[in-house]
Amino acid sequence: MKKRNIKTKHILIMIIILIIIILAIFSFTLKEDRQLNKFESLIKDTVTSIQKVVSYPFNWIFNKIDDYKELTDIREKYQELLPEVDRIDSLMTENIELRKQLETMKEELDIDYTINGYDFLNATVISRNVSYWYNTITIDKGSYNGVEVDMVVVNSDGLIGKVVSTTTFTSDVKLLTTSDTNNKISVAISNGNKKLYGLIKDYNYKSNYLEVEGISNTESVSVGDHVYTSGLGGVFPSGILIGKVSEITTDEYDLAKIINVELVADFNNINYVAILKRKELDKK
Amino acid sequence: MIIAIIYVIISFLLDGIISNIIPFNLVDPSFFKTIYSVISLVIIYNYFDNKKKYLSILIILGILFDIIYTNTFILNIIVFITIYIILSNLDYVIPNNIITINIKSIICISLYHILTYIILLLANYNSYSIKLLFIILLRSLIMTIIYTTISYLIMNKIYDNKKVK
Repeated sequence: MKKRNIKTKHILIMIIILIIIILAIFSFTLKEDRQLNKFESLIKDTVTSIQKVVSYPFNWIFNKIDDYKELTDIREKYQELLPEVDRIDSLMTENIELRKQLETMKEELDIDYTINGYDFLNATVISRNVSYWYNTITIDKGSYNGVEVDMVVVNSDGLIGKVVSTTTFTSDVKLLTTSDTNNKISVAISNGNKKLYGLIKDYNYKSNYLEVEGISNTESVSVGDHVYTSGLGGVFPSGILIGKVSEITTDEYDLAKIINVELVADFNNINYVAILKRKELDKK
Repeated sequence: MIIAIIYVIISFLLDGIISNIIPFNLVDPSFFKTIYSVISLVIIYNYFDNKKKYLSILIILGILFDIIYTNTFILNIIVFITIYIILSNLDYVIPNNIITINIKSIICISLYHILTYIILLLANYNSYSIKLLFIILLRSLIMTIIYTTISYLIMNKIYDNKKVK
C-alpha cells in the first residue's frame, strides 16, 4: 500500500514537471515569434500552394460578388468624385512640388524613416486567424520576394501589422489588433500644427479600439484627430494612418490621457495587402 | 483508410478556405467558424480498428496545424492527443449514432478552444476574457452540428457501399 502511494506521488510529480516544461516551451516559442526551420518552411510552402489552388474558385466567386456590390454603388461614388476631378491637375502639381521640398528637407535633416523611402510589394491573403486567438494572417509573398521579419504591412486604408515569420513563398503577419503586450507601437496624433506622441497600450476587442497612452493631460486632443505611426522605434516608418481619436479619458491619477482610437482599416475583410520594403535594401 | 485520410485532408483545407472567405474577428465571432479538422478526427475515429494508425494521422495533423495555421510549436499536437484520450474514453461510454457523434464533436471542439485558451493564457500570450471564450463556443455550435451531421452521413454511406461490394 505504501509503495503504491509513493508510486502515485512520483507519477503526479512527473506530470506536474512535464506540464511546467511544456508551458515554459510555449511561453518561449509564442513570445519570440518562432522562426520555422527549413523542413517546416518546405511543408508550409507546399501546403499553402495546394491551398491557394483549392481556394481559387471560392475566392473568385466571392470576389465577383464583392465586385457586383461595388458596381451598384458606382454611380453614387462617381457623382461624389466629380468635383474632385477638376482639382486633380492642381493637386498633382502641388504634390510634385511638395515631394521635391520633402526630399530636400530629408537630405538636410538626414531622415530616412518616412514612408517615401519604401517600395510597396503587393500580396494576397491566403489564410487568417484559423483558431481566433492568434490574430495573424498568412500572405503569399516570402523571402524569395525579399520579405523579411519586422517589415511593415499596410492596406489601402492604413496600417495592418508587421511580418513575424517568413518561408520561401509565404509570410505570417501579426495584426495590429492583437492583445500581445510586447507589441507596443509609437504613434503621433496630429492636432492642428502640433504633433503629440504616445504608445499603443492595448487593443480592446470588445469595442474594437486601440488604447493609446503616454500623452500628458495638459495637452489638447480632439475627437476626430488622426493617429499615425510616429517613426520612432525604428520598425514602423512615420506617416502611416492607424485611425481616428474616438474617445478621450484620463488615467486613474488624472495625469495622463488614455485615448481610444477607432481603426481605419477593416480587419474583418483583409484580402489584399502591401508590404513596405526599404528602397535601400533593393539596391544592396 | 484512404477515404478517411482524404476526408481529413479536405477538412484541413476547409479550415484555411473558410477562414479566408468568411470575415470574422474577436469583436463579432462568426457562426460559420469551427475547427473542421477536429470534427474530422471525431468522425474517422470509429473507422480505425488499428488505433496506432489513427494516432499517427492525428499527430501529423497536429504538426501541420502547428506549422501552417498557428505558427506554434507542439501546441496543437498536445491538444489533439488530449482530444484522442477523451474520445477513446467516450467511446466506451457512448454508443455511436448521429446524435452521440454530434455530442462528441461538440465536446471535442469545446475542449480544443478551452485548452488553447488556457495554454495561451498561462503562457501569457493573450488576455482575452472567459466571456469571449463562451461566445466563441456558443457560436461554433451551429456549424459543428451541420458539418458533423453531413460528414457522418456521407462517410457512413461510403463505408456501407464498400461493405456491400
